[in-house]
Amino acid sequence: MSIKTYFQGKRIVSCFLPVLFLLAFSVPSSVFAQEKTVTGKVTGSDGSPIAGVTVQEKGAKTGTATDASGNFSLSVTKPDAFLVISSLGYETQTISLAGRSSVDVTLSAAAAKELEQVVVIGYGTANKRDLTGSIVKVSGKEVADKPNVNPVASLQGKVAGLSVVNNGTPGQAPDIRIRGTVSIGQVHPLYVVDGIFEDNIDYINPNDIESIEILKDPSSLAIFGVKGATGVIAITTKKAAAGKTVVNFNTSYGFKQLVDKIKMADASQFKTLFDEENANNNVTTPDYSALTANTDWISAVTRTATFNTNNLSISSGTDKNKFNLGLGYSSDQGIIRHEQLDRLLLSLTDEVKLNKAIKVGVTLNAQRQHDPYDATNILNEARQVMPQVSAKTKPFLVQNPYGSDSTTVNMYSGLDVALQNSGVVNPVLELENTWNKRIKIEYRTVGSVYADITFLKYFDFRTTLYADISNVDDRQYSPLYYAYNPLNDQPYLYSSKTQVSQTNSIWRKFQQDHILNFKKSFGQHNVTATAGFTTYYFGNFNTSGVAKPYSTGNALPIPDDKRFWYMSNGFEDPTQTLSSSSQGEYSTISSLGRVLYNYAGKYYFNASLRDDASSQIPSKNRHQQFWAVGGAWEISKEKFMENVSVIDFLKLKGSIGVLGNQSVPDFPGGGTNYYPFYPNLLNGSAAVFGTNIYNAASDAYRVNPDLKWETVNAHDVGIELNAFKNRLHFEADYFNNTTKDLMSYISLGALGLKDQIENGGSLKNWGEELTASWNQSVTKDFSVNISGNISFLKNKVLSLSPDLPGGHIIVGSQNNGSAESRTEVGQPIGSFFGYVVEGLYQSYADILKSPPASSIGSYRPGDFKFKDINGDKQITSADRTIIGNPSPKFTYGGSVNLTFKGFNLGIDFNGVYGNQIFRTWGSLESPFQRVNYPAFKINSWTGPGTSNWDPIISQADRFNYNGSTYNIEDGSYFRFRNIQLGYTFNHSMISHLKLSNLRLYANVQNLKTFKNNYGYTAEFGGNATSFGYDNAGGAIPVITTFGLSVSF
Amino acid sequence: MKNKKMIWALLIVMPAIFSSISCKKFLDRKPLTATLDDLHQGTLEGQSFNLYSTLRSYAGFSTLPWLDFNSIRDDDAQKGSSATDGKEINAEFETFQYTKDDWATDTYWNDHYYMINQANKELYTADSLKVTDEASLRNVGEACFFRAYSYFELVKAYGDIPKINYYYTNAAQGVQPKSPAADIYALIDSDLNVASQYLPLNWEIAGNNIYPGRLTSGAAKTLWAQTYLQRQNWAQVVALCNQVIASGQYTLTSNFVDIWKDGLNGAGKNGPESIFEAQCWITQGGATYYGTQWGTSQNVRQGGASVDWNLGWGWNTPTDKLAADWDSTDPRKAATILYSGQYDGGPATGGYGATLPAYNPGTLLDQKYWNKKVYSDPQMRAFTGEIGNSGGADWINHRILRYADVLLMLAEASNETGDGATAEAMLEKVRARARGGNNAVLPHIAFVSQSQMRTAIKNERRWEFAMEGYRFNDLVRWGDAQTVLGSLGYQPRNALYPIPQPAIDLSGGKLVQNPNY
Repeated sequence: MSIKTYFQGKRIVSCFLPVLFLLAFSVPSSVFAQEKTVTGKVTGSDGSPIAGVTVQEKGAKTGTATDASGNFSLSVTKPDAFLVISSLGYETQTISLAGRSSVDVTLSAAAAKELEQVVVIGYGTANKRDLTGSIVKVSGKEVADKPNVNPVASLQGKVAGLSVVNNGTPGQAPDIRIRGTVSIGQVHPLYVVDGIFEDNIDYINPNDIESIEILKDPSSLAIFGVKGATGVIAITTKKAAAGKTVVNFNTSYGFKQLVDKIKMADASQFKTLFDEENANNNVTTPDYSALTANTDWISAVTRTATFNTNNLSISSGTDKNKFNLGLGYSSDQGIIRHEQLDRLLLSLTDEVKLNKAIKVGVTLNAQRQHDPYDATNILNEARQVMPQVSAKTKPFLVQNPYGSDSTTVNMYSGLDVALQNSGVVNPVLELENTWNKRIKIEYRTVGSVYADITFLKYFDFRTTLYADISNVDDRQYSPLYYAYNPLNDQPYLYSSKTQVSQTNSIWRKFQQDHILNFKKSFGQHNVTATAGFTTYYFGNFNTSGVAKPYSTGNALPIPDDKRFWYMSNGFEDPTQTLSSSSQGEYSTISSLGRVLYNYAGKYYFNASLRDDASSQIPSKNRHQQFWAVGGAWEISKEKFMENVSVIDFLKLKGSIGVLGNQSVPDFPGGGTNYYPFYPNLLNGSAAVFGTNIYNAASDAYRVNPDLKWETVNAHDVGIELNAFKNRLHFEADYFNNTTKDLMSYISLGALGLKDQIENGGSLKNWGEELTASWNQSVTKDFSVNISGNISFLKNKVLSLSPDLPGGHIIVGSQNNGSAESRTEVGQPIGSFFGYVVEGLYQSYADILKSPPASSIGSYRPGDFKFKDINGDKQITSADRTIIGNPSPKFTYGGSVNLTFKGFNLGIDFNGVYGNQIFRTWGSLESPFQRVNYPAFKINSWTGPGTSNWDPIISQADRFNYNGSTYNIEDGSYFRFRNIQLGYTFNHSMISHLKLSNLRLYANVQNLKTFKNNYGYTAEFGGNATSFGYDNAGGAIPVITTFGLSVSF
Repeated sequence: MKNKKMIWALLIVMPAIFSSISCKKFLDRKPLTATLDDLHQGTLEGQSFNLYSTLRSYAGFSTLPWLDFNSIRDDDAQKGSSATDGKEINAEFETFQYTKDDWATDTYWNDHYYMINQANKELYTADSLKVTDEASLRNVGEACFFRAYSYFELVKAYGDIPKINYYYTNAAQGVQPKSPAADIYALIDSDLNVASQYLPLNWEIAGNNIYPGRLTSGAAKTLWAQTYLQRQNWAQVVALCNQVIASGQYTLTSNFVDIWKDGLNGAGKNGPESIFEAQCWITQGGATYYGTQWGTSQNVRQGGASVDWNLGWGWNTPTDKLAADWDSTDPRKAATILYSGQYDGGPATGGYGATLPAYNPGTLLDQKYWNKKVYSDPQMRAFTGEIGNSGGADWINHRILRYADVLLMLAEASNETGDGATAEAMLEKVRARARGGNNAVLPHIAFVSQSQMRTAIKNERRWEFAMEGYRFNDLVRWGDAQTVLGSLGYQPRNALYPIPQPAIDLSGGKLVQNPNY
């Protein structure tokens, strides 16, 4: 009795099938008569063998697949059988054996690859052709050999509508937004890795990725419900193919170099400018003659870094069992001294076919990551120090801070505290003494088990259980160390207390999916229907503590030895040991359904619906529904197109829907809020009476019983076109997304209130995306692929919460918020806000004939002349206006790939146009800090006519420290993102080495960026309502790598 | 057949994944830590404690913004610190170029309204619970006190301000136009009336003060007297001060320097003269930390001197004028002014036996003088670990109300109502204590005329409360501000500060700026 007949005779009593791994494995027998064996070899048009090609006898149930050398052996039932030879990406061939026992087959690449592309959609896969949405597929090859440990960083410029803003910190995720800034809260997309929902993919080895799909439109996203609005990046990892055992090893090694260094004053320029400033203020220049160095502080904290990654993968597959094992190690250094990320990754997948109907499988990813010390602010610290301070060490004989013996210590310089204090530090002193005093290691395991059962011919049911469990062990030690006073050349204990802090963080995420699929054709009607049920649980539990040594008598400090970097270390004073914890959970329960329908492969209809119930929403709004419908028309299938031979494929498509954004804003002071409608008590709040402490009670934030998720009303229309024998592929989309019920904390400080989470307001993102590519084999040996994309994006705030009486959201930084992002109705989100600089007051006469500005503060010649925006003949705070938009007008990317015999050359470029950057350095320094001058200050105003832009040098002129157009710079840039030259050895050259593939390449990333601003880079991310700030950091290095990939 | 068995097994071994999950239970998640709902009947007490916590930890009450508004604005105190640190404060609060949008000024406004809203919430809770028990009524008294305290500071600083005396859930309900200062005072009167009735005389059980420093009816009456003094309602000042004196709860600390002790185990805090203090407590090494930057913000700033002298930020320092005007025979001078480059005077004048580095801006100390009333105790520095690069004095209590003020308020009000004898007697009590037994100094001042006595009382307030944040408001209410502060840039409009721009922005135009700004 076959499975099929069994199921046909039974009613399915439940849609929830058990977890199949509970069952004993059972291997059904399948013995066939052996009449004749055929052998052969399958090669590509270049002569190299193709592994994993399916070879079947037509009409029979038997089949096999080619091995790594392209060889196959198959038993056929009759000598004149036909063999069907197929492989994804190649034209399928049918060959008549005509009595032969050996055949060699050459497969040619499928012409219209795009059309038959299988893409990952939520809870399944589909032919791209059957969909009404907009999904872009990027091959794993595109990210595997790029020098980025985070694969998403490699997508910059590759996909229309996907904005990737990179940073130079190893391992740190880029700022990623799909189709603009759809929220004032969470804007990063959802990652779906082989089905599991994630908010980051740090545990994925770029080498394990088979493909990355970017889902952008309502028709594709509604199935993700409350997590769909920000777009989805779906990652499919590599699975073994049947009949193939491949061992691949690849390695790359390279260098990172700082380029586009910001230009700061050197010692003589500092002297000139400092003297000038003091003269401007009639202050005697303090004597700093003891400081005699001329240090380039940026060079002092940076280095040529290395990048190294090594990966080994073994995949082996038979009809019954597909097994894939990957092992990877990456060491990614930052350009800041000692900044280094080490990552070890293990991946394992195995799928067993129990019989024709049942498959079970398991996936496992394990990660161990040693994070770099936090060097985020080092570049900013470096540019602040006076060049006169030495970055070198000097030896001093001092008492061992841990004992009573004397020892010679090479010390770094402290600062001249009278000149530079309050936040200015010698970054080398601190980083050299502390970089290895923090051990932060993350262990993460992500796994799933699934069972897949097909029944009743048209049905398929799949149950998957996922778990993602990680643990971060973070221990930090404060050592004792000396610095020397550069003024009197005396050593002093710079860091005088030891302390250990330890934090243990645990994340637990569990997900279960139960998906029923039905696929059938009724004549010309083709239907694929999906129904499912899924739950998600998230929990985060942190325990942390601080231990200090005894502070009285001649108590011992905690030694500088990793053995003791724990809360209980034998040196700690129990009365000074403190512990605390923070924890939170949330969960969702969802049901979903989808129908993909087409009539005659000509008219398409897609619909999906999802209901999400979430623990984070008050019960009255707990369930929210999300849906989308889409339609498409494959015009090229119509009769009237038959004669238009130049067009191979033309499809018109459109979809509308409502998507959700599970966006809970962080607490105002930082930290995740898992209970947005249920405030806990404010931490650390207590009344003190004498020596008694009593816990105080106040809500941490204001309650909102009406809270609900943000929704996005999304619209998309587009065309897809193939022409000129499928050489040209073109896609165009227009989208228009309106986000409603924006969720945010609203600061009500001026009303004396804590912040409150509100729904209110809406914003719109709309634009066009164009993608085109041209593929051509010019000669047998030479082929060209040129592609490009451009995305035009507009963003506008339509309304904001009526409970926000001022009518705007302000995110300020620097002195009293003088660097201001303002989200205001009618303007793009996070617009920069401030005064418009018309020039500088050149003289007192100039001041007298200009509108008075004293309400802003006192001013004098050389100070900014702000524009009277409201025309009231005086300059007041009411004359501030929108002075910049951090979102580009358009972003673009492109690539040229040339293949000549074994050589391939790929050039990728990308750019953005039309956004502004807000520079905070060299303009909005704190009044508490004396910092080094940017070199451009040498052009500052020194008297009438000397400058009409760079104001008089004077930190005392706080008038100039208001945010203004002086801070605004053009954020447009064009970058040669990636250039790669590779050589793949011809199979005949390496086959005697038992190798199936050998490739060498050299790759240069970020070779050259053309930009118009003073900063290291023009790329500055941020959060939804505040981004695009240049805080003198974020240097993006040039990365040159050399790689080798070998398979056998 | 094998397959069939397997299918059976499949169907039989239905894992109880879902049946075990109740959807409601799976989705019903509360914070894994306490919420107000979890506190039940303890809510009022917890909310009262929150008001004390606010007083201690919000900068508008406990640190720089408070000092800016109340002390640095006068002629005897200045910003101090270093030349560049907080330079904008020099302009704003020393030369009266008030700005409308600045951290310090915005914080002062915001924090006081925060306290008001928190008090409103507690009063709303008490109303909802219809409490009648003594303990809960005491909590009501505390809420009323803090609301009145905040309104009094606001009305002094800004004049007419929005009156928010109700709890609300929708933020828009908190937007109100200004109420006349008289209406604010009416609310203050009603609150302090409640507070002085509901708050206990003290918190003693069997002679043991279980809540040292917690609000009392004496504190409510003293604050109330201050508000009447501000309004020149002399009769009420006399009445209330007499009630405080008659309560027998307070005496002048016999040795002036002992008022400012902040030593080990809480020594010096909540002394006999103390009517109300913002309380801090830090245990060894800062393991338990409930401090404030009140002391840190005012202690000696290291400048270019050795790190041993990194005691604080060095704000609110005495001016040359204070040092010059003050007769050195007044022992309080040596207890109030700490001199750079000099011996700190040892315990007799509130010192600890150290010699300060010299005054030499940029190289050694940046200020000539420091506020000795908050000079930190080296034992506490070592005990709390606030030394070296972590130098500070976060354990020091802000003495908000003290008995000497009751006596001087009574003296002033008595003098204004023609009772010269009482004025003379009260003035003498304060001078006698300051004299410290040395009859050669601070001679008794006999009543000669109302104006002679008025001057004497004004002078006494200046010396007794030097650096404590009384003087600017005293000058304004006496009508002396123009005379004394005019040379610093003071103009009549500067009696009131402009309302912060964010508050005006947030009100959508309902709130209008103070005149002449």
